[in-house]
Amino acid sequence: MTYAYLFKYIIIGDTGVGKSCLLLQFTDKRFQPVHDLTIGVEFGARMVNIDGKQIKLQIWDTAGQESFRSITRSYYRGAAGALLVYDITRRETFNHLTSWLEDARQHSSSNMVIMLIGNKSDLESRRDVKREEGEAFAREHGLIFMETSAKTACNVEEAYINTAKEIYRKIQQGLFDVHNEANGIKIGPQQSITSSVGPCSPQQNVSDIGPDSGCC
Amino acid sequence: MMTSVPPRKSWWTSKKTVKVIRSYPTFPSLNAWEKFRGLLPVDGETNPGVGLGVEEGLLCQMVHSPEFNLFPNSVVFESNFVQVRRSRNWKEIYKASNTMALGVTSSVPCLPLPNILLMARVKWHQGQSQTWNRPSRAPSINLKSILPLKFVELQIWDDQERVLRLRTVTEKIYYLKLHPDHPETVFHFWIRLVQILHKGLSITTKDPTILVTHCLVPKSLCSPGGKTELVQKKSKGLQPSESLTHLMAQGESETLSQIFSDLHQQKQYRSEKMHINKTSSEKATPCEDSIPCTCDLNWRDAFMFGEWERENPSGPQPLSLLGTLAASSRPRLSLTGGNSI
Repeated sequence: MTYAYLFKYIIIGDTGVGKSCLLLQFTDKRFQPVHDLTIGVEFGARMVNIDGKQIKLQIWDTAGQESFRSITRSYYRGAAGALLVYDITRRETFNHLTSWLEDARQHSSSNMVIMLIGNKSDLESRRDVKREEGEAFAREHGLIFMETSAKTACNVEEAYINTAKEIYRKIQQGLFDVHNEANGIKIGPQQSITSSVGPCSPQQNVSDIGPDSGCC
Repeated sequence: MMTSVPPRKSWWTSKKTVKVIRSYPTFPSLNAWEKFRGLLPVDGETNPGVGLGVEEGLLCQMVHSPEFNLFPNSVVFESNFVQVRRSRNWKEIYKASNTMALGVTSSVPCLPLPNILLMARVKWHQGQSQTWNRPSRAPSINLKSILPLKFVELQIWDDQERVLRLRTVTEKIYYLKLHPDHPETVFHFWIRLVQILHKGLSITTKDPTILVTHCLVPKSLCSPGGKTELVQKKSKGLQPSESLTHLMAQGESETLSQIFSDLHQQKQYRSEKMHINKTSSEKATPCEDSIPCTCDLNWRDAFMFGEWERENPSGPQPLSLLGTLAASSRPRLSLTGGNSI
């Protein structure tokens, strides 16, 4: 299938926060409660529609375990978007965000869009990190923020698509050089730069989903 | 989906960086390769690896395509497999139209041994011949995972049925049967690959019949202790794949000991959980393509073995993985117990 752009995403965060489940929910629309530890990289892909443009999301699901951390760092480069995930029921996964963010900033393009995700929002009774804390962290570090549940699929689509919207907005603003591979964006086959990145008005009709569904 | 890629030069036309006088082994069992070579003009441009479908195949085209642009200068050795499970006879897990592409490559082309395993799901069109060598119509191929080979154990599991067992450090197990369309020679390559990964390449330093004129890697890159001191380029100047390459070659070794301790903890957790489940339901249902966890991590030593050779190339380098396969490929004389890395 042809696409206007390909965006490379990377999913990062501590082990057990639900990175692979977030990928599976997005690509296959299913939840798998028990998942093997990820080693190396697992890949997923899906087409989304942003402002009438077909965009292919190429998603790199990385290993969160500390033991694989040095390898995970090698996958950051060339990512246009990152989903930085923590588990709202495990405070330590939130505490480690700074370290993940440092890695991301150090090894990727400065324009990379980072979506902070507080996952497992279905486990409200076991909540250990307040939503406001997540919001504050995101605000402080210039990230987008959402709480999701890979189990119920709440906000999962929105997390991926809002990230794509932000990347697309940056492309239109000229912040991303789509010809520079290091930015994690590729123009699709048979797309010319003039036809795919025309000057657009700031108010885009970004389709596919509306604003946050508010399910979480 | 695949995208078109520019034609690449074959490994023996583009990578003649080491002058090798090669004496082909005279084992009768090597005849498969020899015969195949005999079908082609020796000095012609036709690449037997391509002809056999183990080189520049669909997996290679995908990872080298602009969509991924991974390890662009490295040769990929690959084949088409059918995922099976153990029963009285090997039974296919998926429909015949779904196969798995398995390949090995190197994050750095000059590494003496491959260090990356590639896995991709392949979906063939209905009624399409699943010929790996230049199919008339490309099937749908999706890259599933990239695994550092040091976290993978590869074994020849059933010689007769041409089944490999692939076991990850996290105890995920796949039984992969070489696709029937592949000739026997291809399975011999896999046997040889398993041997090479396990034992290293004796021809790199020991075989007196091979004249190696120079070393690809400056000696200064390696400390006397055997630890690599990689020359750091400024990351700004690196292309993504280059960066990946260098970073992957860096620091991986520190992870192994931690992984095993972490896994041990996870196993304890899992076994406790399994115990609870078992007492409640009195039955355990092991995963289709994985085996129950064991505490046997003897193969850990196998991971450690050869690591230095794979990632610290201080000695003379071979032409390429396929070069070495071609030079010394021979079926194993005995396969009892399997050969593993």
